[in-house]
Amino acid sequence: MANFLTSGGFVVGYYAALIAASCIAAYYNNRKAFMLLFSLTLVSFVLGIVGGVPALRGVTIFAGLLALAAGTSYAFKEFLIQISSPGIAKELRTAPLTASFGMFIIFTYAIAGIFAPWIAPHGEAQVISDAFAPADENMLLGADQLGRDIFSRMVFGARNSVGLALLATLLAFFMGAFAGLMAAVKGGWFDQIMGRVADIIMSVPSLIFALLMLSIFGTNLAVIVVVVAVIYSPRVFRLTRAVAGNVVVMDYIEAAKLRGEGDWYLIRKEILPNSTAPLIAEFGLEFCFVFLLVAGLSFLGLGIQPPTADWGSMVRENATLISFGDMTPLIPAAAIALLTVSVNFVVDWMLFRSSGLKEM
Amino acid sequence: MNKFTDKDILLEIRDLKIDGYSHAEETWIPIIKGVNLTLHRGEVMGLIGESGAGKSTIGAAAMGYARDGTRISDGSIEFDGMELTTASESDRRALRGSRIAYVAQSAAASFNPAHKIIDQHTEAPVHYRIQKRLEAQEDAMQLYERLRLPNPQEIGFRYPHQVSGGQLQRAMTAMAMACRPDLIIFDEPTTALDVTTQIEVLAAIRDIVDQFNTAAIYITHDLAVVAQMADTIKVLLKGEEVEEAPTEMMLDNPQEEYTKSLWAVRSFKRPQKARPKDGTLPVISVQNVDAAYTGGVKVLDDVSFDIYPGMTVAVVGESGSGKSTTARVITGLLPPSKGQVLFKGDPLPARYQDRTRDQLRQAQMIYQMADTALNPKVRINEIIGRPAQFYSGLKGQALKQRVDELLDLIELDPVKFYNRYPPELSGGQKQRIGIARALAAEPEFIICDEVTSALDQLVAEGILKLLDRLQQELGLAYMFITHDLATVRSIADEVVVMQHGKVVEQGPKDEMFTPPHHPYTDLLLSSVPEMDPNWLTTLLEERGVDNVGEAADV
Repeated sequence: MANFLTSGGFVVGYYAALIAASCIAAYYNNRKAFMLLFSLTLVSFVLGIVGGVPALRGVTIFAGLLALAAGTSYAFKEFLIQISSPGIAKELRTAPLTASFGMFIIFTYAIAGIFAPWIAPHGEAQVISDAFAPADENMLLGADQLGRDIFSRMVFGARNSVGLALLATLLAFFMGAFAGLMAAVKGGWFDQIMGRVADIIMSVPSLIFALLMLSIFGTNLAVIVVVVAVIYSPRVFRLTRAVAGNVVVMDYIEAAKLRGEGDWYLIRKEILPNSTAPLIAEFGLEFCFVFLLVAGLSFLGLGIQPPTADWGSMVRENATLISFGDMTPLIPAAAIALLTVSVNFVVDWMLFRSSGLKEM
Repeated sequence: MNKFTDKDILLEIRDLKIDGYSHAEETWIPIIKGVNLTLHRGEVMGLIGESGAGKSTIGAAAMGYARDGTRISDGSIEFDGMELTTASESDRRALRGSRIAYVAQSAAASFNPAHKIIDQHTEAPVHYRIQKRLEAQEDAMQLYERLRLPNPQEIGFRYPHQVSGGQLQRAMTAMAMACRPDLIIFDEPTTALDVTTQIEVLAAIRDIVDQFNTAAIYITHDLAVVAQMADTIKVLLKGEEVEEAPTEMMLDNPQEEYTKSLWAVRSFKRPQKARPKDGTLPVISVQNVDAAYTGGVKVLDDVSFDIYPGMTVAVVGESGSGKSTTARVITGLLPPSKGQVLFKGDPLPARYQDRTRDQLRQAQMIYQMADTALNPKVRINEIIGRPAQFYSGLKGQALKQRVDELLDLIELDPVKFYNRYPPELSGGQKQRIGIARALAAEPEFIICDEVTSALDQLVAEGILKLLDRLQQELGLAYMFITHDLATVRSIADEVVVMQHGKVVEQGPKDEMFTPPHHPYTDLLLSSVPEMDPNWLTTLLEERGVDNVGEAADV
């Protein structure tokens, strides 16, 4: 009876809140908010009939999480605006909430990765309990198949997986961007050769190429970084060449060439400052792909080797738990997904800015 | 006041105010500050003013359209009894194309290259259900004929890149006519065209506007052009009206100081110099040069001319005549297939890569488009300082002093401009920076490639005066590439006329401008619009209606 009353009270409160909010939105002529709230009310009728109170609770929790994320993003954005220089602050003000959410998540991951040994309660490879022990006051997320703390391994994983992916992306960028700029400036046969090499690398499926290379050269970290960088550099090469290709036809490049400037000056002073925006956006996108490839390799057992913690291999190690209906293996997977989505949020904003699609 | 009565009012703009959004200041700033405009049926009104005067913004507002980054903040726009500022977007859209049409400056950029001209022409009439597709095509062909396009039955079935610029501009006028609108807005329709092509477009526009009694707003910065086209002229300055009067009255007797200064622009003239007679070698001597782009036909055919120290040689001709290609041969960007270029008697290596630093230093260029000639991400001091540093090895304080000196030379305040970026400057200021960069190399010879054609007349005159002063002070020789004969009249010593990659005539300016001319020179000279409102009519009578522009082959 008491249970019925509380749940009854919840349902009444739920609808009352929604309708009141719709009315307020309608009163202040906020058409979009009103349509959203009132359609939610109507959908909730159906949901309430089909799913009962739990469904409505689910909606409430989801809305609450969304509001929390939005609030955090907003606060984080304001914080960034406060601490940065006026020029950057002006740019930051144009950032949508999704972008600041992405920045917040990236910031959190960076903190976790950098301060991993201090944040993690246990060592990366330290066995502290039974295999697959459930969560207790000692272990936030329980133990894995060898009895290691999953939370600690998640924190160390942030350092290993993200760090490796970052390193590989940077390398891919230096190789690709340099080759692309040189191809655009030199043109002719150099351009042709670089272009065909890029075509060849791109024509081999990336995962198969990586597996092949790793089984030939063995799986140590340096090899992984180089192989992944080689696989992804052609994309950077093509983008850089296209962007720089638009710049080299400008009159100021002709003026610099006629002055007798060398290629390196042209690249450094004239072309690069005019092509940074799309390159930065591309960096974010590439990072996601590289990150997923590294995670995929780890999942297949050819990436980062145990006992080093890595999100990709953590999914594989605990995969058996899925058949028992346990969520644990999905946690590292969710961490990967969250980071990828966050990076994309930030990149979307940068792409929007660099493409000049400015809304009024 | 004139032939139009108040009953026929088609468009009435009252106290129009438009704001533009400034990204730098993050606020709305007024760009049109209360303009009135009354247009009668069949009347052609010329809107003139410098860039930034708000001509195009008013043109767009006459369609009830606020361009990106602008908003109509106050005032009323009444088109044929309909208030456009309060009308719904769908109502306004229904007017556009059917009752109000627009002809843009660059037809090449406004046509969709993926569709045939006639398909784009018939889009509006079919959309508004005025005509069926086939009827609309028939009508298009008739319009093409009236606009004197060659092969009117066939030309519409070509793609935009398959016809010439002037023809495309006429096709666009035909397209604007497709629904027989009450009002057409011409936004600088001939600015991008050669003088010879300009005439045929002007004649075509004038005829068709007359025939259908269409009202038009004609936006331009060229006074001589507007004199041919408009019944009334309205002069704008920085978003405000300076004055308005019927064309003849405005030309004969302008009231305001600003208008008078506009009228007087073409008066700058400097004394003509003769070649030195003491056996001085020419700075640059182009000798029997042939050139072709890779695999293509010859663009230059046996081109020869000399440029003596301290003199200005103007190279004139239509686009495609090989003027700029000659400049590329001189700078070494395009090695000639035959012939050579001498610098003070010594042959220059054909490719710029093979030239020494000193040889490169001697031939500097100033470009037509200052926007693309200056790197937007590099500060002014570095743009100007780099050549000084590169050729003379100046560093630190000496370099800074040299940059200040150069900025003084081009009449820009060093304190204000030293640390700024090119996008923060106006068109004229950018062009001055381009000049300073050329001067920084301390050359003896400068190629000026259409340096004034992208500028307003007042600004252009300032640049010409500056170039002239620099020539006197520094003894520079100029090769002045242009298609604007008014510029040639004002600053050239010698003239080289080019056509189809050949030099058709060359000599001192006074000889070139007095008859008898080569027939092509004659065509060029007679095609330059004059301030006389009857000039076009007279010219067309002289040449015969079917004999204008490119039809008049010589």
